[in-house]
Amino acid sequence: MDTMYYGDILVVDLDSGKTGQVEFERQMLEQSGPGLASGMALLREHVEGEPLVLGSGLLTGTTAPASCLGFALGASPVTGEPAVAPLSQYAGSEMKLSGFSMVVIKGKSAKPVYLWLHDGVADIVDASKLAGKDTWETTDAIRSDMGEHLIQVISTGPAGESGSRLASFSINYWGSGDTAGLGAVMGEKNLKAVALRGLGMLDAEEPLEFYHGTLELLSGSPAEKGFKATCAAVKAYDIDGWLKPLVHRYRSCFACPHACNTFVKYNEDHGVIDSTGVEEPGLLITGAAAPLWLQRGGWEVEPACRALEALCREGMDVVRGARELAGTPLNDAAEIRAAVKGLGGTEDAGWPADNDISYTGLFGPWVPPLSEEDGWVEANRAGYVLGICPAYILLSGIDVSRLFELCSPAAGIELDAGRIAEMFA
Amino acid sequence: MSRRSRASGHPLLKSYRDTFSAVKAGEAVLLDTDFSMVTGSRNGHHCRQLAYPRVAVYTGSGASHSWIWFADLLERQGIYDVRFINESYMIEEGLDGFDLLLVGGGDTYAMAAALGRDGAGAIERHVRGGGLYFGSCAGAYLVLGGVDREPFTPFSLVEGDMMNVMDDPPPPRCLEHKYLAGYGDGWVFHPVYGELEISAARWVSGFPCFMKSSILHAPLFGGPVMGVEDPEEVVAEYSGLTDRAAYPWPRNDAADFVIGRAAVALARNGEGQAVVSGPHLEHPLFPEANALAAEIFLRHCAGIAHRKPETAGGNTEMVQPGTEASLLLEIKRQVSNSRIVGFGLEKMPVTWKIGLKVWEPEKIRMFLDYAWERLPCLERCAGRIGPVEPLEELASGYSRVTGMVKSLKMKIEAGEDSLEEASSLLLTLKELTAGFLSLYFRLRMEG
Repeated sequence: MDTMYYGDILVVDLDSGKTGQVEFERQMLEQSGPGLASGMALLREHVEGEPLVLGSGLLTGTTAPASCLGFALGASPVTGEPAVAPLSQYAGSEMKLSGFSMVVIKGKSAKPVYLWLHDGVADIVDASKLAGKDTWETTDAIRSDMGEHLIQVISTGPAGESGSRLASFSINYWGSGDTAGLGAVMGEKNLKAVALRGLGMLDAEEPLEFYHGTLELLSGSPAEKGFKATCAAVKAYDIDGWLKPLVHRYRSCFACPHACNTFVKYNEDHGVIDSTGVEEPGLLITGAAAPLWLQRGGWEVEPACRALEALCREGMDVVRGARELAGTPLNDAAEIRAAVKGLGGTEDAGWPADNDISYTGLFGPWVPPLSEEDGWVEANRAGYVLGICPAYILLSGIDVSRLFELCSPAAGIELDAGRIAEMFA
Repeated sequence: MSRRSRASGHPLLKSYRDTFSAVKAGEAVLLDTDFSMVTGSRNGHHCRQLAYPRVAVYTGSGASHSWIWFADLLERQGIYDVRFINESYMIEEGLDGFDLLLVGGGDTYAMAAALGRDGAGAIERHVRGGGLYFGSCAGAYLVLGGVDREPFTPFSLVEGDMMNVMDDPPPPRCLEHKYLAGYGDGWVFHPVYGELEISAARWVSGFPCFMKSSILHAPLFGGPVMGVEDPEEVVAEYSGLTDRAAYPWPRNDAADFVIGRAAVALARNGEGQAVVSGPHLEHPLFPEANALAAEIFLRHCAGIAHRKPETAGGNTEMVQPGTEASLLLEIKRQVSNSRIVGFGLEKMPVTWKIGLKVWEPEKIRMFLDYAWERLPCLERCAGRIGPVEPLEELASGYSRVTGMVKSLKMKIEAGEDSLEEASSLLLTLKELTAGFLSLYFRLRMEG
């Protein structure tokens, strides 16, 4: 491929500690489809190696609105079925620019390792010293080793290493939306982390037409902050007001006009703008479901945020963890950490809101559970193929056909809803 | 397509590349008296055969990063018989056998001091013996006859002087760190810094780069505004300012000072010639300026002896394929690691003054990018790279650079003085890049 993707498909065999590369041919893109559709084909092709497949959508990492989305795909230990988890924030765009179009990670390493993917180079690095470390320590250690804090670190924590049913990979320090237990898949493989960084550039088939098309979409896009729109869409309590006493800033994922991620400070005054030397001032809350569970369970906001931090550090799914913690509000930080470590993973993922969505399929509840009739499945499918956040697709009201229209100037590919449905048939 | 890519594929440069590629392939390319290419069978006595030049690019003490622009320009012209030399080479080996000597920007004092009288003698013998000296920016100051204080005394190839010197220049409105350099009791100053217009002297108005317009754009990054004794030696003069420049002086004052003065001059000297250019005609984003330099090179090559281009020859010990692949991967790994950390450095508010030259963190990645962009070519040459030593040196060198960039970044993040680390890193990068490009050009030369 010479447009929208660059680099080969990387195949990592953790059994042997070797890597190989296979050309990502246009034929595969056209036959299987971009993004998650290609990922599913690779999952089937390498099924004997119980693979974890990483990749990005056709438009990921471009100027298209909300083009932040990559994916991790594997057999979920929670459902026993293939399941996808989002590489959001900046991990998806960095996946796109890592110099590998897709990554297939097979087998199991004899000792803890992490993958360092940079500019088309794949290094399997000894991670023995990271064994048992939480996701924050792991992220810090890898960034320090490599000398760059913009490296995106997808890691598993103690929960994943111990095979907890609650395990979820983290993206840097924060929760990822992995409700399928792919963090435990990483743990099972002795794969402590995947670190991503690339300085490459993407080419488009018709660069100017593509660029202007994306600008047009952006200009008509609402730019909102926080979880207000999400909560309203699922008819849930407005969690923004509850979090407000701690809110420091809102942060969007790559290229997204909707800055929903909410940074809260509880280890220093939330109004402090400058860096004051407090190393860990708070937490980035990356989804509304987890705080909604805790709020509904009667937690005070500050201990609730500390609980979310503890879940992130352990590498646990914040949504299932919060749902399990919800009924027993705590205040003491040490008690909260102990409670998190003792979680058994008895709850399923989901939102504290009525809806008709079944999460037993490919897609988890990371995307707000609007009804099937509102196109929840279609938004997930289109989002993971295109690399556009499906939550943005649902909440912004964007006409998805206009996103499909970008595929031609982007890569000379014609896509529509019918073609997407075929990919998932 | 990036601006640099557009410059690279510019039709003006393509014609030079086609011409030199033909010469490299052994074709007899004849030029008429007006330097146009002779087609058909006119083997008249006034035609001259174009020779494939051997080029030396100065990368030694005092040279900044800008010498790599010459490498870029030569590559785009299809000239691959290139050596990257330092002062030791020039003094000990001399410049015999080289047709062109290219000296770019940097710290002129450090260059002159390092080259000394022996280096000056080598340069003078090169020119008097029929070679071309092409100096831009610092390389131009170096050989202006009027720049005659120590350590510049032995260098004098062009009867001219820098005009941008005075005892008490007015204070700058911006770019304070780049505005002045001491010279005797006075100061060399830079009233404008960035892209300018230069216009053709009448005798060069027929050059291809001036066919559409007698004006072209080129960047002035502290190079001389010159006065040249013989007006016939002026190739181009400064003729206008642009919005793509910074103005330490008020723009009108800068215009009054600069416009009408010599930007590029060419002086015959013995059998050869010396060209001095205030602006960087070799800068990769200015294809028309590149074409002016290219035309000067081409015309010089029409007057030199023709010889078979030199290649490394066939009896070199080849590196084992597995070793070669692993060394290339290691080079790629370490250049990537260094670039990633170097890119992170670019957001930091730091510069380093090394000698008289101010270096920004971007220069680190600029060196690395030149290697990075050419690595695929080395990978394509796998199996015929030749001796293992250059690859081993590059692999260990870039590994060392990765460590050095990380250490430098840690120092800066800790708020500590980082000048020593930066100096050491930039010197290592300069030497490594010269080594990398030497290998790269050799492989291009061999086909």
